[in-house]
Amino acid sequence: MVKGNILAVDDEQIILRSCERILSPEGYKVDTATSAREGLDLLGKNNYDLIITDIKMPEMDGIEFMRQVRTKNPDINIVVITGYPSQESIKEALSLRIIDYLPKPFSPIHLLEVAGHAMELKKKGAAPEPHVEDYTDEVAAKLDAIIAKYKNKPGSLIPVLQESQELVGYLPRVVQRHIAKNLKIPVSEVHGVVSFYSFFTMKPKGKHNVRVCLGTACYVKGAEEIIKKLSGGLKVEVGGITADKSFSLETVRCLGACGLAPVVVVDKDTHGSVNPVKAMDLLKEYE
Amino acid sequence: MERYRASVMLCGGTGCIAGNSLKVRNALVEELKNRELENEINVVMTGCNGFCAQGPVMTVYPEDIFYEKVSVNDIPVIVEEHFIKGRPVERLMYKEPLKKSTIPLMKDIPFFSLQVLRALRNKGLVDPEKIEEYIARDGYQAAAKALTEMTSEQIINEIKKSGLRGRGGAGFPTGMKWELCHKVKGEQKYILCNGDEGDPGAFMDRSIMEADPHVVLEGMIIGAKAIGASKGYIYVRAEYPLAVHRLQLAIQQAKENGLLGENILGTGFNLDIEIYQGAGAFVCGEETALMRSLEGKRGMPIPRPPFPAQKGLWGKPSVLNNVETFANIPQIIINGAEWYKSLGTEKSTGTKVFALSGAINNIGLIEVPMGIPLRKIIYDIGGGIPKGRKFKAVQLGGPSGGCIPEHLLDTPVTYEDIVQTGAIVGSGGMVVMNDLNCMVSVAKFFLEFTTDESCGKCPPCRIGTTVMLDLLTNITEGRGKEEDMEILQDIAKDIISTSLCGLGQTAPNPVLTTIKYFRDEYESHIKDKWCKTGVCKDLCTFYIDEEKCKACGVCKRVCPQNAISGEKKVPHRIKQELCIQCRSCYEACKFDSVNIGPVALREILKEDLPAQEILRNMHAAALAGKEE
Repeated sequence: MVKGNILAVDDEQIILRSCERILSPEGYKVDTATSAREGLDLLGKNNYDLIITDIKMPEMDGIEFMRQVRTKNPDINIVVITGYPSQESIKEALSLRIIDYLPKPFSPIHLLEVAGHAMELKKKGAAPEPHVEDYTDEVAAKLDAIIAKYKNKPGSLIPVLQESQELVGYLPRVVQRHIAKNLKIPVSEVHGVVSFYSFFTMKPKGKHNVRVCLGTACYVKGAEEIIKKLSGGLKVEVGGITADKSFSLETVRCLGACGLAPVVVVDKDTHGSVNPVKAMDLLKEYE
Repeated sequence: MERYRASVMLCGGTGCIAGNSLKVRNALVEELKNRELENEINVVMTGCNGFCAQGPVMTVYPEDIFYEKVSVNDIPVIVEEHFIKGRPVERLMYKEPLKKSTIPLMKDIPFFSLQVLRALRNKGLVDPEKIEEYIARDGYQAAAKALTEMTSEQIINEIKKSGLRGRGGAGFPTGMKWELCHKVKGEQKYILCNGDEGDPGAFMDRSIMEADPHVVLEGMIIGAKAIGASKGYIYVRAEYPLAVHRLQLAIQQAKENGLLGENILGTGFNLDIEIYQGAGAFVCGEETALMRSLEGKRGMPIPRPPFPAQKGLWGKPSVLNNVETFANIPQIIINGAEWYKSLGTEKSTGTKVFALSGAINNIGLIEVPMGIPLRKIIYDIGGGIPKGRKFKAVQLGGPSGGCIPEHLLDTPVTYEDIVQTGAIVGSGGMVVMNDLNCMVSVAKFFLEFTTDESCGKCPPCRIGTTVMLDLLTNITEGRGKEEDMEILQDIAKDIISTSLCGLGQTAPNPVLTTIKYFRDEYESHIKDKWCKTGVCKDLCTFYIDEEKCKACGVCKRVCPQNAISGEKKVPHRIKQELCIQCRSCYEACKFDSVNIGPVALREILKEDLPAQEILRNMHAAALAGKEE
């Protein structure tokens, strides 16, 4: 049985051959390319579980190669090999979400370890974090501005997360990591707070966010029916987002507008005394 | 200053804004300009008036005429008839629900006349976004008195003597809390305000923050002086954006007027107040959890002692009081403890704000003297149960409270008496339920809430509430066993005695009180598989009593399934194969001819429809187990 498909890219034949010699007997299928261009061609034709690439190559270097890979294949595992690691190239490689790094020369055991690790990651589905289109350089710069505003204040994590969520719309892992790094606190702490408070969400929201109040007064007046109607009508579970991304559906703990029960809030508009049977009519004006 | 001949106080609370009161204001301002009355009639957007169900509401001074459910289309009429011709518009006035008589003046409407306003004294009278209006109503006089004439000890003594107890729910004496913190030595102390109003069905704090934000600041200034704090935080739910906005504005205005910041009123006293937005966790209403949240951490409670008065926020001595508690402080300082104690009972002094909602005519915010019987609140102020339905229970204290049945309606509302019933006064949510509410489902609703909101620190609360919820779900879905009620009560006892904070210690209350007062409902769910209210869809059968049916067709029209057959003058029938137990026909029928039977009837009725007499016997037979 094939353990996994690996693509090795290096301008030095000797490296490619040693990769093959070490990995093939262990059950990996290895394809090789002597240039980035050739590597991209192969990627277009075959599916790979792991790419091992050099950084310093003539014509197109490894960084540019990885950048192009990422645009088409955001989730593939990449490991880099290089004999002359510079701060800059490593930093760039990291920003392209490589999973590991092999210094030249490397031992066979080290290469096998790295390959095994990559396959394990893939199996767990924990392989590189999915590409987040909402996390652009521009967003990153704005995040830095938010963090700078609160940096030296104690207890700043929650306000930073609130403003970041307002900016991005939700808090994907890459944003949490960005915040952790810049506030100089562990990612686990950031994630702990994000997962604790119901205000924070790691899922994107629709163009229109529909929130159904689940307070006692609303419950007594049929909030559950409203949720059923909306969930059925939009074909989306509570906490989900419609396929066309136009609506997301949430429930909320008492909005304190009990006089209007049952209440549904769409974006920032509060709709009171909603008739459960006609709940879907509410959304017409937002389509 | 302009002199106006009349002032229109238009409500700008969340409820009325959702009812379009902003558009009403714009239309009114526009219309007044068109009729060249803008220098004669003053339009003020106030905070929550309290009478939320009738919104948008407005009051016209000096006459005190009260208009309800005002729409943009009504504006030309009001301006033409009332402001030009001097004939108030009767159509928009309040109608007494039972007698159908019109009550023109706000002060005569029972909803308002039976209230005593202290914490809410400025509601509907000031523009919450203008500090001048608050000051014109004697605002910041108490703060001035406390800062210039009183020592910390004197303030604490006055509050202690007044008997004021924390309005957030637990009812801990405020003066004692302040004294404790005052006695602790510390360079940095904090005064904190709890605006994390999380109980579903409660909106007292939101209304105070929206209608009168300065009273909260003034209360905090006095508290800060009493304990020696120089920094304050107001913790507000992120779900209350209007409250956050108005508080922010209030803080800014107070700073500009030298009422916050450094050297307040030239006394050398410093206090800086900041707003902190919560992020949606019910447990953060608990004081130690709230402080962890302020520190930017997961809001989990920690054991006491040390009490927050000794080691609170960032390990520094801190006092946390509820919004309503702070709103009471300035009046006590100005009028004295004796004045405050003149209302209420010996152990529960003063007034309390309640959010009245659910199946009741006058939904809204009320402030009443402590010791008032529940019946008076529900029937006199609340105007009773709408649509001629029957009162079943009133839920007090949210997920920590309980359901109080009809025979206990004469219980006076005090901390001590309400606890005797198994409920708690809590922060002031009061949700009325009628005969359409299934009490087992209500208990389940609250358990769903606490299960979800348990922070997970203490296993008895985290796991215990989940197990209780499973049992309740079984009961409402027809899998209940006879021993379930005993198991529920056993687990409840353990959760109460082994949880760290108030959330766990009170989470089983809704279940315990419903078992105590509505045991028969649990029994009919478990033994007869019969939810008599038709809420639990797996435990009921809807059918029409053909002798009572007048064949009017109303049920046919409301049925979303087209499951009802029958022509004019031919009694209607429900096809059981199609019925989804939505209860629409039951609520629509004016002749009480739709019955709710046990689930066992469903199969029988799927066959050829039996004669009415046989049907009734079958209904009885299906219940035989219970009758014996």
